[in-house]
Amino acid sequence: MFGLPFATTMLVFGFPLFWILYLVGFLYVSRNWDKDTAKENDAS
Amino acid sequence: MSGTVIFFLVLYYLVVLGIGYWAMQRGSSKDLEGFLLGGRQVGPITTALTLQSTAMSGYMFLGAGGLGFAQGYWALWYAAGDIGSGLLNLSVIGRRMRKLSQMMGALTAIEYLEKRYPSPAIRLVAGTLTVFLLGFYVLAQLIAGGKGMALVTGISYPIALAIAVGIILAYTFMGGYLAVAYTDFFQSLVMLVGVMWILIAALSELGGLTAANNAIAEIDPTLLSVWGRGLGFEGQWGVVAGAILIFSVGVMGWPHVVTRHMAMSRPATARKAGFWATIWSLFFVPTPYIVGILAILILPGLDDPEMAIFQVAEQLLPAAVTGLVMAAIMAAIMSTADSLLLQTGSIASRDIYERFINPKASERQMVMVSRGLVLAVAVIGYAVALVEPPTVFGIVIFATSVLGSAFLPAYVCAVWWKKANTPGALASMIVGASVAFIWEYAGLVNSTQIHPMVTGVVSSTVTMIVVSLATQKSSPVPPQVLEMMNVAAEVGPIPERYLATADAGLANEAAAIGRKLDEG
Repeated sequence: MFGLPFATTMLVFGFPLFWILYLVGFLYVSRNWDKDTAKENDAS
Repeated sequence: MSGTVIFFLVLYYLVVLGIGYWAMQRGSSKDLEGFLLGGRQVGPITTALTLQSTAMSGYMFLGAGGLGFAQGYWALWYAAGDIGSGLLNLSVIGRRMRKLSQMMGALTAIEYLEKRYPSPAIRLVAGTLTVFLLGFYVLAQLIAGGKGMALVTGISYPIALAIAVGIILAYTFMGGYLAVAYTDFFQSLVMLVGVMWILIAALSELGGLTAANNAIAEIDPTLLSVWGRGLGFEGQWGVVAGAILIFSVGVMGWPHVVTRHMAMSRPATARKAGFWATIWSLFFVPTPYIVGILAILILPGLDDPEMAIFQVAEQLLPAAVTGLVMAAIMAAIMSTADSLLLQTGSIASRDIYERFINPKASERQMVMVSRGLVLAVAVIGYAVALVEPPTVFGIVIFATSVLGSAFLPAYVCAVWWKKANTPGALASMIVGASVAFIWEYAGLVNSTQIHPMVTGVVSSTVTMIVVSLATQKSSPVPPQVLEMMNVAAEVGPIPERYLATADAGLANEAAAIGRKLDEG
């Protein structure tokens, strides 16, 4: 892909994909974290 | 240099200074917690972006581009871990460290370590190591600032370096966490836009990524491999592992970065911040490396690879955009340098000078010590950068390897392992820092083909486990620390009784600054 060898393609696109999957897993596991401090504000 | 470029440079500095001033007025200096942690009111997007921009620094514009130019796609091993650094940091220690630091009343990353592993020795060793390594890290920012300023303005390197150091010192004395966080927020957005603009311009110039890669293959096909120019790193998995680890898990050991967790508006902020940090990183982190690779075609006669991104921008972008991009790069370098200098100065004055040398130090004396050290670091940095400037890449890899090796187990075990005790943490910091330092200094990377980050982290982790287990009877973790760790682990509000003890737990020097701020 894009004129790159297979291993390099995996390096360029595989790791970002891994981190996206990690993010999805993290968001799922942490879905109840809002219970930590319901009273406090959350600014931007 | 054109007047348009100067205009955008000056405009950019004014905007950043204005944001910093506004943030300071907004309440960052109401009390001690406000001054050091922005009153723990920093939201998820700002947390994500200040964490990311603090971790990235001038390395991304000089070291990353230079590595891409010199080694081709092999450089992307460093980006592979770096993309997830913020997410990993926030997901592993963010929420728990935020709660634990609040319960313990810790306001700095070093003070937090002393309260989790109660012993003055922890503070002395951690403070000394941090001052030394952050001072070294500052050197990389000064060189980056000097080189960039020389190219942008066309003046000689010594004068450009002096101007860069002068501006960095001026930034440093602005002070206040909230000011730093909001200027980082703005700068990270401009950094992202700037670097993406350079990438798009480079790809347009070369006819797209596929055409560019085909052209690079004609020059040297090994530049497209995952093993570097001439396959120089072929089979060196120890070096590859270090490249991935140093900017992923290693960042959890950087005191100036983990401080960001302590300033979050609430523990759950880590969740949304993790999302924003990943989005920002996916676009920003690989880009400087790729621009460096494309510079092989755009700047075939480039003498200094670390100037690749600066020169690609200057060559391909219109003057107005060049000015904006250059200003963004310079401001990113300088804002990181001011954070490092401020951390170095405050740790030296509060965690070392007042804690161990002069316990009755007045606020004026502490400020004098802090500013004196900042000036000394800047002057020494100027001299080293002028006489024999090492590469930005080399300094950053050295400083971050030792930082990560020294502190990673201490910060991670602080919230996750109840048997991690004071002797274990102390031995872990000393062994991890020593091994990484010796590995780098003695040049063992070449003979062993193993990155110092790998040996450093493995040795510090093993030391933490072995020493902690061996000294459980003689040095048990205090019951109140175990209680707080339990509360930090649970999902739910912090009980009032723990919040009540936080104020009483403030360190003497912290309380002294608080009184001074109250008076002001």
